Amino acid sequence: MATAKDADRVRPALTLSKEELEVEVPEPRLNWMNQWREWGVRVKPGKKGLTLGSLNVGLYGEIPMNWPDRSRNPRGAIGVTGTPPVAIQIKDKVDLWAPCAADLYEEAIQRRWAPATDVDWTAIHPLPDDVERAICQVCTEICQYAIIDVELITSWQHQMAYGYHEVKQFLATTSLDATRRHEAFRKRALVNGGGLGYEGPCQVSRLLLESRGGWTETVTGLTLVRGLFTQVMIRYLTRFAYNGVERKIYECVTQDLARLLTYGIEHIKYALAHAPDKQGSVITTLAIGFRMFNRDLRDPVLREALAIIFGGGIAGARSEGMHVFYEMLDEYVEELLGACQYLRLPVAMEQLPTVFQKDKRQLPGE
Amino acid sequence: MDQQLQNGSEFELDLGWMEKQGEWGTHAEPSKNGLTLADIQVGSYGDAPVESRNLSGRPRGAISRPGSMPIGNYTVRTKSEIWLENASFLYEEALQRQWSSATDIPWDTIEPLPDDIEQAQCQMATFLTEVEFVAGDVPSRWVSQMSPDFYEARNVLMAQVMDEARHMDVFRKRALANGGGLMRATGATSGFVGGIDLARDFTEMSSRLHLSGEGAVLTIFRMGELMAYNDAEKAIYRLCAQDEARHVAFGVMHMRYMAANAPERREEIESYLDEAESGMLTDAANPAGQLNQTSESLSIMLGGGGKYFDEGFRKLVSIRKRQLQEYQKRVTSAGFGDRFKNGRSRLGQMLENVAN
Repeated sequence: MATAKDADRVRPALTLSKEELEVEVPEPRLNWMNQWREWGVRVKPGKKGLTLGSLNVGLYGEIPMNWPDRSRNPRGAIGVTGTPPVAIQIKDKVDLWAPCAADLYEEAIQRRWAPATDVDWTAIHPLPDDVERAICQVCTEICQYAIIDVELITSWQHQMAYGYHEVKQFLATTSLDATRRHEAFRKRALVNGGGLGYEGPCQVSRLLLESRGGWTETVTGLTLVRGLFTQVMIRYLTRFAYNGVERKIYECVTQDLARLLTYGIEHIKYALAHAPDKQGSVITTLAIGFRMFNRDLRDPVLREALAIIFGGGIAGARSEGMHVFYEMLDEYVEELLGACQYLRLPVAMEQLPTVFQKDKRQLPGE
Repeated sequence: MDQQLQNGSEFELDLGWMEKQGEWGTHAEPSKNGLTLADIQVGSYGDAPVESRNLSGRPRGAISRPGSMPIGNYTVRTKSEIWLENASFLYEEALQRQWSSATDIPWDTIEPLPDDIEQAQCQMATFLTEVEFVAGDVPSRWVSQMSPDFYEARNVLMAQVMDEARHMDVFRKRALANGGGLMRATGATSGFVGGIDLARDFTEMSSRLHLSGEGAVLTIFRMGELMAYNDAEKAIYRLCAQDEARHVAFGVMHMRYMAANAPERREEIESYLDEAESGMLTDAANPAGQLNQTSESLSIMLGGGGKYFDEGFRKLVSIRKRQLQEYQKRVTSAGFGDRFKNGRSRLGQMLENVAN
């Protein structure tokens, strides 16, 4: 390898044939030289290395509110004109931006993990049949959530303008996270004498996949309905984990989901701050989301499977397990309302379907 | 709630779902590489269907729910359209070989370069940033249309999307790390007929993206030693080459599966290869091709400066030959080697005129 000092003297050897040595060399045009918008940039690595966010200096850090360019021109380069446009639909910063996207991208890479090797699969041991069936059922539903997350995010990513590459890059990490989530829970279902269970109900997934109108609305459902619930559910599963395998998976997935939720909430915050008229559609999306979620919750499968896990078996599920389930639901609602407050969204407990309202919920013995 | 616990009130459970489970009694065992996707291909869970009827996004092997809505808008539902035999391996390898452009590149080894070389590096970095966009977005779009019954192949493509995000970012970092900046974009990937992102069929797209497009870039990355002026650049090319090799392997193995399992599509695939070959040297997406913006910057990098342009250009010609030869090996490995013997391919002619 040559160094900068001897750049003009020595290059590594590449044995050329006689024919190649006799090639007639065309006169270079060099019309691309000295073509830049800003030169002399020298970004230095900081304590976290050379990060994506640190590149946003000078002109390269100017992130416009609108990116009309429908080519793949990198932000800060001299654009090319006259090419047929790429099918980009999201061209306004307000429709996708979150100031934390570049940091979340780097964090996702630093916290990468591999279910094959970062989980000690030998630490698993046989469980009572009812508990194993319940865990496998929950794994099946989380796999399905992850599959839908992948399809959802990938169906939007290519529609986003290249000027906002930080968000596109972060979303690449989230879809790989969801891929890994599917992988990890599938592996758990197939490793301990069980198998996959019964397909989950699909109303929330339907809401997510059908929210074609805008990424902000999609993010609202993905984050505040599906994502936050999954995060709380995994927190409870961690509390009631039966072995180190499950604990490790939950721990890693919690980190992954935390980044998605952070992006989602910060994007909604950014969108509402810069386009207050979006508040109406965000609230409507949430209202529809709760209705869909309510329909999914009417199905007993996930509820009962979680109750069996929390109660240590079917017997425990009928009492303590089911109560823990509703405690978990209350925690979700509390966090949801906290997020809405942070976003200054006028969403109150009374507006939620009854199942989410602790005081109105009908329980046995009442 | 505590009161209810105390008074012994109990919830009634349905539990009917406990009888609706996929194959039961599965004990996947970890192998020496951990518990890999290959290790969980046990019993019926290892059977990817020839035709997928899964329209609701359920995991393969789970029991279908009557009345579930066909919310998955899957256009790719035939195994031969997407499958490859080593997807599990490629995916696991991708996860093991993820790297960070922030911390795995020794950025502090970069030193100021002569202006012509820095400009050439920055022009190439601008170009690579641009083309990595398409290599990420296009597979991503296809994943959203693929049945999850073929999740192994989807997983490899998702790892590719991540790899490409990192490539885009590492070349942007290189352009902005050494006193230079981004230069002029080429428009190399913008919507022309036959372009990677316009393909209406997955195999057509894969032949362009994985086999010819990324194949050509892989040859360049493998020659990174010749273009690197410091350990940082050397590491960039080496790590990108690892990633790119997996993407190319996806294309080769998918085409091999297609050739063996969908012989009725063979002629169609030959047509994709005809197109791919005709553009290999003229297409702007090949950095060693005829677009002067990239070929001249590569010549300067390879030669060691503008005053050694001729030497660099001759090396570039040698690299073009390697691109074509490696392409030929890949296509042969994919099961389409006859085209190089029966006169269908123009590759021989292209090898003779590689300097033009």
